[in-house]
Amino acid sequence: MGLIDNIKEYQHNFAVNSKKEKAYLSFLEQGFPNTKNEEWKFSSLKKIISNDFSIEDKGIEINTEEINHNSLNFNYKIIFVNGVLDSKPIIKGVKINKHVDESPSFSNAFSALNAAFSNTGYEINVDPNIIIEEPIEILFLTKNSSNNFIQYRNKIVLGENSQIKIIESVKNIGDQYCFTNMQTNIKLNRSSNIEFNKLQNNNDSQITIDETSLTQEENSNSTVNTLLFGGMFTRNNLNFAQNGEHCESNMNGVVILDDNEFGDNHTYMDHKNANCESNELYKGIYLGKSRGVFNGKIMVQPDAQKINAFQANNNLLVSDNASINSKPQLEIYADDVKCSHGCTIGQLDENALFYMNTRGIRKEDARAILTFAFASEALEKISINKIEDLAKDLIAQKLKVDLSF
Amino acid sequence: MLKIDNLKAGIEGLEILKGINLSVKKGEVHAIMGPNGSGKSTLSSVIAGNENYEVISGSISFEGEDLLDLDPDQRAHKGVFLSFQYPVEIPGISVSNFIKAAITEKRKVLGLEAMSAKDLLLKMKEKMDLLDMQKGYLSRNMNEGFSGGEKKRNEIFQMAMLEPKLAILDETDSGLDIDALRVVANGVNKLKNSENATIVITHYQRLLDHIIPDYVHVLHNGRIVKSGGKELAHELEKKGYDWITKEADKKWG
Amino acid sequence: MKQEQLSEDELLAQVTSAEYKYGFTTDIEADTIAKGLSEEVVRIISKKKNEPEWMLDYRLKAFKEWLEMEEPDWANVDYPKPNYQDIIYYSAPKQKKTLDSLDDLDPELKKTFDKLGISLNEQKRLSGVAVDIVMDSVSVATSFKSKLAELGIIFCSISEAIQEHPELVKKYLGTVVPARDNFFSALNAAVFSDGSFCYIPKGSRCPMELSTYFRINEAGTGQFERTLLIADEGSYVSYLEGCTAPQRDENQLHAAVVELIAMDNAEIKYSTVQNWYPGNKDGLGGVYNFVTKRGICYKNSKISWTQVETGSAVTWKYPSCILKGDNSVGEFFSVAVTNNYQQADTGTKMIHLGKNSKSTIIAKGICAGKSNGSYRGLVQIAKGAKNSRNFSQCDSLLMGDKCGSHTFPYIEVKNNSSQVEHEATTSKIGEDQIFYCNQRGIGTEEAIALIVNGYCKDVLNQLPMEFAVEAQKLLEISLEGSVG
Repeated sequence: MGLIDNIKEYQHNFAVNSKKEKAYLSFLEQGFPNTKNEEWKFSSLKKIISNDFSIEDKGIEINTEEINHNSLNFNYKIIFVNGVLDSKPIIKGVKINKHVDESPSFSNAFSALNAAFSNTGYEINVDPNIIIEEPIEILFLTKNSSNNFIQYRNKIVLGENSQIKIIESVKNIGDQYCFTNMQTNIKLNRSSNIEFNKLQNNNDSQITIDETSLTQEENSNSTVNTLLFGGMFTRNNLNFAQNGEHCESNMNGVVILDDNEFGDNHTYMDHKNANCESNELYKGIYLGKSRGVFNGKIMVQPDAQKINAFQANNNLLVSDNASINSKPQLEIYADDVKCSHGCTIGQLDENALFYMNTRGIRKEDARAILTFAFASEALEKISINKIEDLAKDLIAQKLKVDLSF
Repeated sequence: MLKIDNLKAGIEGLEILKGINLSVKKGEVHAIMGPNGSGKSTLSSVIAGNENYEVISGSISFEGEDLLDLDPDQRAHKGVFLSFQYPVEIPGISVSNFIKAAITEKRKVLGLEAMSAKDLLLKMKEKMDLLDMQKGYLSRNMNEGFSGGEKKRNEIFQMAMLEPKLAILDETDSGLDIDALRVVANGVNKLKNSENATIVITHYQRLLDHIIPDYVHVLHNGRIVKSGGKELAHELEKKGYDWITKEADKKWG
Repeated sequence: MKQEQLSEDELLAQVTSAEYKYGFTTDIEADTIAKGLSEEVVRIISKKKNEPEWMLDYRLKAFKEWLEMEEPDWANVDYPKPNYQDIIYYSAPKQKKTLDSLDDLDPELKKTFDKLGISLNEQKRLSGVAVDIVMDSVSVATSFKSKLAELGIIFCSISEAIQEHPELVKKYLGTVVPARDNFFSALNAAVFSDGSFCYIPKGSRCPMELSTYFRINEAGTGQFERTLLIADEGSYVSYLEGCTAPQRDENQLHAAVVELIAMDNAEIKYSTVQNWYPGNKDGLGGVYNFVTKRGICYKNSKISWTQVETGSAVTWKYPSCILKGDNSVGEFFSVAVTNNYQQADTGTKMIHLGKNSKSTIIAKGICAGKSNGSYRGLVQIAKGAKNSRNFSQCDSLLMGDKCGSHTFPYIEVKNNSSQVEHEATTSKIGEDQIFYCNQRGIGTEEAIALIVNGYCKDVLNQLPMEFAVEAQKLLEISLEGSVG
């Protein structure tokens, strides 16, 4: 049958003329994007969606031990077990709830699908002037006896002058395919600040479609760090819109993939107002037969003067069977701007490897050290030490060396 | 030649020059000294006509003509030259082509015929010798990849080529080692005559060992708070600026 | 260096009219067929040109393919689609059939050439450039032919080549740009009326720059010229192409196809200065320039594209290299200027198939007025193209706050021994640079011309001297009045 047929079975489950039905019909009209769609040119879903998925599977029980094992064990934890909100912290000035969106908006096939079906996710509201130093961990844990298609819809609203840090991860601990379609909307009010870390360290049964959109009001500052360390198929769409002046947006990514893994990072930076800044740095390391896609777009709208926008995408192709497609783009409609992008695809410096070799460092270690050095620039932007350390360990694991960097 | 009358000027609404009075005659060398942030560079920028600075009140006249009415290039045509503290890089344009463009423009305005390539090259050669410059200079791109010293030398070279009536040397000594300083100063001295005038803007006295000023002015907090002969520079070297600035602060608050 | 100064001299003297300098029409009787496109028209064109059967078949096949295709809309340009039935597909100046010498040219036509600044006699005397002139659709004069013939070099109109060298044309036509490649290449294959043909035999070095001037003259005509250039093993050729069009209110269509073939150890340098009428200040009229240019490089060969694009209302153009042979080299140097309402979507494709293949891309965009300029480029390194290298640098300079500048590079790498480096910047012309020039007595307009020339130097340096001077002038003219 395939996923599209599984979805079609829900034809009669929607209230007539409801927003959800509209979303559902919109999805059916569009279907899953194929490689003829420019935005999906290198990211074929064909094989994945030929499988059958259950859309309302309740999952199989996950015990406390398993939860603790997969959690990063921060003090503040929001944990979803098979889509059910299992625990949440109590933080003064921060309201945390299960998010149910009865009139969801959508703009593409996956957001329409998500709008139609999602019935879980988190909603975080931070009161004005509240500053939370300690990071909030969010974990979505699933385990299923059959292929599962699950959709989360999340929302974060930061009040004026507030500040939070998030570390979010999605984890499938079952041996069946888990297809996650996640939509997250983050609204930053004036002078607020968010650091959002996405840890995507999955096994080859996980398929992830993630769309995270941030809208920023005047003077706000956002940083999104994406750590893509594994998963059968991952497609991230990260969108920033600056609605006021003096905003700053930062995005950093480290991608390390191996075997047959596939990772696609699409970013869109929309400079709609003057006197703003954006910085983007994505580092990709491709081993085995892995394939990577980077597509970053910086848009400077008319009259958005005095914009400084910087974008870099650097890639290492470690294996001869790995490949990368990169498309960094600038679209600029204002003149008093400084925008640049750079993209490199290459290998480690053989001279440096040789040099280290002569100093008695094993080849594999030298390779790992240099590879880590390559990625570290993007890791430096993470302010949570524990995450940075974890990332380092995971990189060592990925590179199959017993080193601590 | 140059007369500045109660000049008040600033940038982005901030008043930096708070009433400057200065008179420079033909054949004179004036030194303007002062601590960092006293307004020295603002003064040179305003005289040259940098539009980032706003003139609030007062006047600047040059050979009896109101300078403030003129565009920067028109001021240059009248004979005002500013040696930049931070010379600007212009990629892809060789030093010779740049100077050629500048001279051609000036001659056009003055109703003179363009200089022949041969005459121009001869003149460049002569002035390069004066400043002890290597021949390769001419074909290098304007200030691109120049060391600090090379940039300053290039400024004086242009001055030699353009033969201004009034040369303003803004912190020309910064970034120069002692040998380069001597060469640059020597060049400036040789270009000096009874018909032109020089304003040397500097933080330190050492340049004034080589370019001897007729007058020394101390700029502090947007005002000339003390003027004197060349001995004032030596006094400053010994005693620093504090004794003057304290006195001035008492007076102006 | 002396020559450089001379050129700058001329440049500075050129501060005159901002209006399109080449906007005049030539009053010569033309042999024109009725508007519109049909199988019949394709047959008429082929017949008028007295073409052999295989050529007619080629055209008809292309025409059928074209009928099935849709006009592309992925480029970042916005224009009313031409009505393909409202175009005259063939227009030839009427004149004596064959010319023995340049003196036999129609005096009016000669005047046109003079106005274009390419007085044939002078060219002949001064620079030894061989010129083939395509006016509207037919090649009217080829100079230096006999001299080249001594070396075994064939340089003639493509119509003549079809008659005289059918084996070469048949062998290579459409091998680099197949008719079905895209909408415009199919259209061109069906209706091309003339163009240039060039063959450089094995081991020979063409002693002079070969040059073609294209000019759209007749109202309502589309110019569909076809260029085929073959550099046989170990040969070298430098080819110049210049384009102008008279000023007209309606849009004129130009859909050319250029195919280059560089055999083993050969080198082709192809330079274009494109100055088609860009339309007036309000965006009325101007040429639609939809061109497919592509070259194929065999072992150790090199193709270098240099272009200075200042004209056309809409430009859609991606001179490309297929680096098929090991150690082959592709280069692309481009300056694209847009002003007023012009739109340009231009760039290159470097397809690396051979081992150790190398490519360099230097693209400089300058946007002023209400124009939009886009760089679009593809660097593709196939799995077998081990140890390949690409370096790309794309810069944009913006003047005025109503223009747009865009960069769309596509980079695809499929092996781990190759390296690709892409850099792009977008910025405004430096106010500090203008002030510095001002302080030295250089007025703002001249300062901009100077700075822009410096900014484009890496590309202009690639042009042969005669062209570099013209290109500098064009840059200046195109940007006049762009900064208020």
